[in-house]
Amino acid sequence: MALRYSLRVVRYSAQNAVADFAATYTWKSWLFGWLGRMLSQVVFFTLAGRLLGSPSLHRERFVGNSVMTCVVEAMMVVASSAWERRAGTLPLLVSSPAGLFEVFFGRSLQWVVSGTATSFVALLALGPFFGVHWAPAAVPVVVVVLLVTSLGSYCFGLFLSVLVLQATQLRNIVSNVSYLAMMTFCGVQVPVGYWPAPIGWVAECIPITHGLRAMNALAAGGRADMVGQQVLEAALCGVFWVLVAAAAFRLLAERGRRDGSIEYSA
Amino acid sequence: MTNAVETRGLRRTYALDRRAKTGRSEVVALHQLDLEVAEGSVHGLLGPNGAGKTTLCKILATVLLPTEGEVRVFGRDVRTQTRKVRRDIGIVFGGERGLYTRLTARQNLHYWCALYGLRRPAVRARTEQLLERVGLVDRADEKVEGFSRGMKQRLHLARGLAGDPRLLLLDEPTTGMDPVSARDFRSMVDELRREGKTILLTTHDMDEAETVCDVVTLIDGGRVLAAGDPRSIGALVSRHERVEFDFVGPVAETVRDLLDLPGVVGCTSVSPGRHRVETADDDATKAALSLLVDRGATALTTSRPRLEEVYLKLIGDRGMAVR
Repeated sequence: MALRYSLRVVRYSAQNAVADFAATYTWKSWLFGWLGRMLSQVVFFTLAGRLLGSPSLHRERFVGNSVMTCVVEAMMVVASSAWERRAGTLPLLVSSPAGLFEVFFGRSLQWVVSGTATSFVALLALGPFFGVHWAPAAVPVVVVVLLVTSLGSYCFGLFLSVLVLQATQLRNIVSNVSYLAMMTFCGVQVPVGYWPAPIGWVAECIPITHGLRAMNALAAGGRADMVGQQVLEAALCGVFWVLVAAAAFRLLAERGRRDGSIEYSA
Repeated sequence: MTNAVETRGLRRTYALDRRAKTGRSEVVALHQLDLEVAEGSVHGLLGPNGAGKTTLCKILATVLLPTEGEVRVFGRDVRTQTRKVRRDIGIVFGGERGLYTRLTARQNLHYWCALYGLRRPAVRARTEQLLERVGLVDRADEKVEGFSRGMKQRLHLARGLAGDPRLLLLDEPTTGMDPVSARDFRSMVDELRREGKTILLTTHDMDEAETVCDVVTLIDGGRVLAAGDPRSIGALVSRHERVEFDFVGPVAETVRDLLDLPGVVGCTSVSPGRHRVETADDDATKAALSLLVDRGATALTTSRPRLEEVYLKLIGDRGMAVR
């Protein structure tokens, strides 16, 4: 019963997210504005990598930056969660019978869908220009890897959004710094092994690290079990972050009730 | 009649920022507050800025914990039975915040109905019912960002009713509304009272409190100063009826004659050319009116002390200061 109610809250919050997304973008502004911008970013970093680095890493850099686009968009959950505080809806959400985590989990899911679509277009449309070709049988697997990576990153972003809900002025800084850190340390621009071991251990907890390995293996025609293992590890990272985020949202509400930090005014 | 809200020895303090260097480590927002709100009543909460009204509403809305004391909503402890309390309350703010402005009115209500546990058919039915109730059916599919203040406030009320709450917390709901919208809003509050809902209304508007409230409580500094029926609470200032009149020319002789009448207890000047007689009973009032008509007094009115006077007497005139 409680689970059904929680799922219903997530579903309606997601509908709210879709409506919000439709109010933000038209199909033209998404296609020629957002998608165009992200494809340009993929091309820029891939070409920059080709000029500065080893040609052997060329394909990995293209795959990395293409997958990164879904993470960039998933991390927008950090900023969009803070909108609730600015809109004055946070106290209403806290005082409703719905759980805060379920509400916020559904409330920004538009970024996961849009991000997955962006990465998918980047991988398939730009791939041939950078020597990456996808067999028809691999295409559904590409979607699965992207969805798992995007959703896992979204869960990580949800955790960060709890911190930002307490300091909304930091919403864009936290969002940008976190995805730039992922670009730097999680294998997008340079292999994870390039960095000192402690950084590598932290990177292993971030879903994109495993999502990228899975996508690179898929692009190189690697074995299915190898791809599957990395997808599973990315999913486990996502589950870890979703649990951390759920606990953090509960603490946020409890702390807010104790210290009065949940504003309640017109 | 049972109580919808009951507080006993309610105290709430806020820690002060050490950097503020005020010499105090905390500020007391509510100080041993005892309050009872009868089920089915409209209860007004009046007080200046910083009196503790919003703190009390936050505690009842379960977004703030009491520091000490007991708070019950329909007999349930807000501290330990939070989820159950949340099913019984609805919150309505005044002003622009608290709505998803990029969504339509219908989308807003669908969402809040779902959060209050309604399933899909019930969500739709309740949304239509609420839109009908607040007169937004024709604008239901327009984005809220294009709504006027009055329309937003109606939507706020509809949102507050999404969970069919037994207790509605209205926090300065008519702030910034034009007089016609405010009047419509008050008539909706009246309808809700007839349906048996309990309403706790915080307001600065004395006319509003007198019009819609069954009981008002005046608070300041986190303490209750007075409570009672807004129409009889004037007895705190004066138990006497008043006759006010305008008089052109020398008034001394008329005042002397008025004071000689049995039951007339005083006569004062309230502004240049306008005077007030206080009477102890209806007979004295009649006699005073008769005498004043004979002497050619104009603009005669009778009244009892109003809520605003009680407020000003108890709270005092502190200008713009906030405690």
